[in-house]
Amino acid sequence: MEVESNVNLSMREVNCKLGMFTRPDGSVFISQGETAVIVGIYGPIEVKPHKILINKASVETHYCPKSGMPGIADKLCESILHNVCEAALASALYPRSSIVIIIQEMQNCGGIIPCAINACCLALLNAGTDMKFLFASASCGLDDEGNFHLDPDDLFLETAAASFIFVFDSIGKGLIASHTSGSFNLAQYQSALELCKKAAEGIFDFYKSTIKKDLKDKI
Amino acid sequence: MAKFRENLITNCEKKFIIKNLEDHTRLDGRAFDEFRELSIDFGRDWGCCYVSLGKTRVLAQVSCEIQRPKSSRLSEGILSINVELNPLGASHFESGRNSELQVVMNRILEKCVKDSRAVDMESLCIKINEKVWAFRVDINILNHEGNLLDCASIALLAALAHFRRPDVSCDGEETIVHSYAERDAIRTVIHHYPVCITYALFKEGTVVLADPTLLEEGVADASLILGINSYKEVCTLHLGGKALMDPENILKCTSKAAHRASLLVTEIKTVLKQDDERRVQGQINSFQSFKHAQGTKSLDTLTKYLDQWSVQKRKRDSKRKNTENGTVQPLGKGSAVLLPVEDDGAKSWKPSSDENESDSCS
Repeated sequence: MEVESNVNLSMREVNCKLGMFTRPDGSVFISQGETAVIVGIYGPIEVKPHKILINKASVETHYCPKSGMPGIADKLCESILHNVCEAALASALYPRSSIVIIIQEMQNCGGIIPCAINACCLALLNAGTDMKFLFASASCGLDDEGNFHLDPDDLFLETAAASFIFVFDSIGKGLIASHTSGSFNLAQYQSALELCKKAAEGIFDFYKSTIKKDLKDKI
Repeated sequence: MAKFRENLITNCEKKFIIKNLEDHTRLDGRAFDEFRELSIDFGRDWGCCYVSLGKTRVLAQVSCEIQRPKSSRLSEGILSINVELNPLGASHFESGRNSELQVVMNRILEKCVKDSRAVDMESLCIKINEKVWAFRVDINILNHEGNLLDCASIALLAALAHFRRPDVSCDGEETIVHSYAERDAIRTVIHHYPVCITYALFKEGTVVLADPTLLEEGVADASLILGINSYKEVCTLHLGGKALMDPENILKCTSKAAHRASLLVTEIKTVLKQDDERRVQGQINSFQSFKHAQGTKSLDTLTKYLDQWSVQKRKRDSKRKNTENGTVQPLGKGSAVLLPVEDDGAKSWKPSSDENESDSCS
């Protein structure tokens, strides 16, 4: 394919640290390039009376920006994360309880949504919460000349024509969420999807090695 | 609803902690006036500071914008401190809702830093009666393991000292804000560095613990919070709870706290200097502690300390047979020194090796 020659296939460096907080049941710090988030999980815990569901656990997601009150952009990010986590959690196992997911922005240098989605998955693994499948997210940007750039940072996103965020599940490697902005055509969407799918596979491997390392450290 | 999701402290835990205090033991093996380990970290952005004190974690971020000054103070900038009890910190914290703890913390930090005029507010003025800089410090509590206030005050101060505001130039009626890339950013003028230091009081103020953990905070009768700067000037004094305390004890605590404050301020200044040097060299390593620190083992710390506890107790008991309230340290031939169990502020001293040698020579 002609597109592939112009593709930047490398992701920014990913660092992570599991279980560094004592209060939450599961916690993780992930930095993807300069973007960094902390995710903490409480759950299943006591549910607030007005949020109680009798057939499954209610999933609460809080996205906390570093400064100021949560704005509209933060609420959008929160709702994307909420939908992905709610789909993946086996919440029917915990009726009349609540699973709380808190995302704390540490540094936003572009691509905070995919970074936070990956952090959520690792934190849920760290907390030992039951899930139907794992999920991994990758993003890519499209510049004016039609070149793709995997895992774009804030400098690229300022001038990008379009940006794509995809979330995949671990079982069938199927698409579970897609979030796009900007203008693009169908072919470009398809190639962005292919590109991110490849990157997501790398992230699933990263999960595996991280959890393996964590378990080894504990013994 | 008040106790919703909150951790309650059982009577057994209370009794156990108080019994241990009688034996001069704390659950984590610290001395009564010993503080937990402190580490300060900066992010890539100006004024972003991550502080960990023991297992308590706090993130502070300074942001600024141009506003109209308050009508009562036309030539002064605005500083607002906003403590956010992030639900990450503990499961009963709720974001965006005012709780008692949040209001108390906010007020004490304001008293300590704002009312003590630590930050030069007049330098934040751009045009009298029209435009001033308004600083907002957001303090996010990430992990609540006791002594939030000390941790938050260190984060607040370090973040304020780290922050640089963009340069502005006035052109007649117009004010131009230059971006960080265009012109060098300006530091905030800080006259003095006040930090909060918390002591927990037990048994009607007779037992004083420095840097209480979450459990100790819950059991304590009262807490004494002192805001002190490096010149040993008291900026805040807050006695909460229901303990009687005589003035002598408060003065004793104050002198201990003054010593600790000067240590803290030096620590903050060294960390800031290191960060400056790194930035001059062009390497910005944000949140280093995460990338390089060893993973914390999820071994239950309480059980770990309890294992050690039985051993330590026996040792202390045998020592206690010799003297009632101290340990005897031999000092060469035929001489000994009685070391008190608690000493004032300074680290516990031991006879130096030189002295030993000269003694044995004579």
